[in-house]
Amino acid sequence: MKVLLVEDNERVTRFVTKGLQEAGHTADHADNGRDGLFLAASEHYDVIIMDRMLPGNIDGLSLISALRQANNRTPILILSALADVDERIKGLRAGGDDYLTKPFAFGELLARLDALGRRTRQDSTLTQLEVADLRMDLLSRKVMRGTRQILLQPREFKLLEYLMRHAGQVVTRTMLLENVWDYHFDPQTNVVDVHISKLRQKIEPEPERSLLRTVRNAGYMLSAQ
Amino acid sequence: MLLGILTLVLFALPLGYAWRAADNDTRLQILTEDSQRLAEVFNRKGPAGLADFINERVGLQIAGERILLLTDAARRPLAGNLPAWPAGVPEAPGRYTRPIELDHRPTMVTLVRADLPGGYKLLVGRDVARLAPVMTRFWYGLAAAIAVLLVSGAVGGILIRRALLSRIHSIRQTVSAIMQGELSHRLPTGGRSDELNTLSLTINRMLEQIEQLVHGVANVSNAIAHDLRTPLTELRSRLEELSLTRPPPAEAFAEVDAAVADVDRVISIFNALLRLAEIDTGMRRSGFVEVDLGELCARAVEFYGPAAEVKEITLTCDDQAGSPHASGDPLLLAQAVNNLIDNALKYTLPGGTVTVSTMRPGGGSVGIVVADTGPGMTAAQRARATDRFFRGDASRGTPGVGLGLSLVEAVARLHGGTLDLADRVPGLAARIIFPGNP
Repeated sequence: MKVLLVEDNERVTRFVTKGLQEAGHTADHADNGRDGLFLAASEHYDVIIMDRMLPGNIDGLSLISALRQANNRTPILILSALADVDERIKGLRAGGDDYLTKPFAFGELLARLDALGRRTRQDSTLTQLEVADLRMDLLSRKVMRGTRQILLQPREFKLLEYLMRHAGQVVTRTMLLENVWDYHFDPQTNVVDVHISKLRQKIEPEPERSLLRTVRNAGYMLSAQ
Repeated sequence: MLLGILTLVLFALPLGYAWRAADNDTRLQILTEDSQRLAEVFNRKGPAGLADFINERVGLQIAGERILLLTDAARRPLAGNLPAWPAGVPEAPGRYTRPIELDHRPTMVTLVRADLPGGYKLLVGRDVARLAPVMTRFWYGLAAAIAVLLVSGAVGGILIRRALLSRIHSIRQTVSAIMQGELSHRLPTGGRSDELNTLSLTINRMLEQIEQLVHGVANVSNAIAHDLRTPLTELRSRLEELSLTRPPPAEAFAEVDAAVADVDRVISIFNALLRLAEIDTGMRRSGFVEVDLGELCARAVEFYGPAAEVKEITLTCDDQAGSPHASGDPLLLAQAVNNLIDNALKYTLPGGTVTVSTMRPGGGSVGIVVADTGPGMTAAQRARATDRFFRGDASRGTPGVGLGLSLVEAVARLHGGTLDLADRVPGLAARIIFPGNP
């Protein structure tokens, strides 16, 4: 993936750029709004990481608005120290696609970038999802593992659907909370882990053919191998 | 004071006028009767007889009988107290109040002119000026009343002003004491129920709230300092030790991971505090919508279901009130209920139960109860439970920063409701009560 990072803090820039390169992505960087706008408008990026508070005349939100007005549809992840729910809503209204507050864990950032970058490629008119021999029919709401049908509660179905739509990507606990339960807060306890392990028991009766892996310090990943 | 005088004058003017008019009417009536009596004398005894009668009357010198005159057809005086027919008397017989020429001066009189048989003419009248002393006395009275009013008003005003000033002075003293930081001071309030007292009571209530808030802030600052200092101390010593001892990479990385966990703990405390502050400012009230509390509970119970199962706790939802609605922020309400369930699960032992139910406690209000079979809380613990960073003894060693119930309480307050904790023997029932929708 080709990523544009618009961020004025040097240490954060180094941390994010290095992390992205290690994960196999290429990253361009702008440390002010003007350069950011120029790069975003002249090059093609799969996803943009945008700090909200930037030096110079153009702040993050007006930069996003400018891009959206110019019909630039590149997915944008807003990175901000402003954590209020209202600020988050403001960011998404301006045209941001996701919002992550500082300080953040790099795993969380990477997982969200993957989800955003993939979204443009993924078709929402899919009727069937498939990972190895795990199949989900979105119309009849039937889930099969090989030839065996798996019975799921509605919320378990939603959880598995989210994991399958993001197969091969790391999905964090926060992403699951927000997208499966619509809870935008941290429940402090490991409730999500318990849901995952319950789902695991249902879709993986034999642990040796495991599809759903736990990724240390980050979250979970559903993948074929 | 001015108003009093004005009122008195306005009251006196119509009274004076009415009195004067009534007096005039009475006088005219008397004069008419007089002239009729004289006409009768004329009829019985003729002109000479009447002239004698009139002269006799003038001789008596009845006070105020200013005008009495009988003339022949040529208006030559025959009898009476006027030397000649005065100028200014109207030509026709009748009753008049008007100025005429008397002793070469125009004088206001009330007058009855009657024409007798044979061209004789009769004038009976009185000088209005005769009335003047009475009127003067009336105005004197009025002036005296105004004077009394002025004096008593001034004295009363000074007394009231002095009383008011002394009360305001004591209020000012209290306020300056408060401004210097002595928040426990209150405005003096007597047993009186006047406006100033009512105002003082209101201000005292406000001061009470301010004092509580200030103390709350001070407590929170202390608690933050304490609760952030602990993980920061750990973090610092961990990093310092790492830098001093330079252990082999495997060990060093384990320490770094632990340091990151310490930082995460600080961040989570920080986020919880910011969220509380956000709720406390009341900003979120603008985003209120209709929330189905029954559905909210069902979702929270479903969310915690597997976690309860693992702990062998029976977690159930009981929508007793049948999906009551409240106006609120769905996200905050969900977080509040989740916090309560989280707490209940934390303290309930395996084999216990946690029940989440909706209720209508009456008066149109609605509520959510989270009841557990855990150890419950003592009365002293219940009183302090919503203090920021308060953690019961039972919670030592369990994860959490002691802000859970503070947040629930703040959310309840934001929605105009309350959080109360009741002993269930065994266990605890935490209830959030909201004023319902009309």
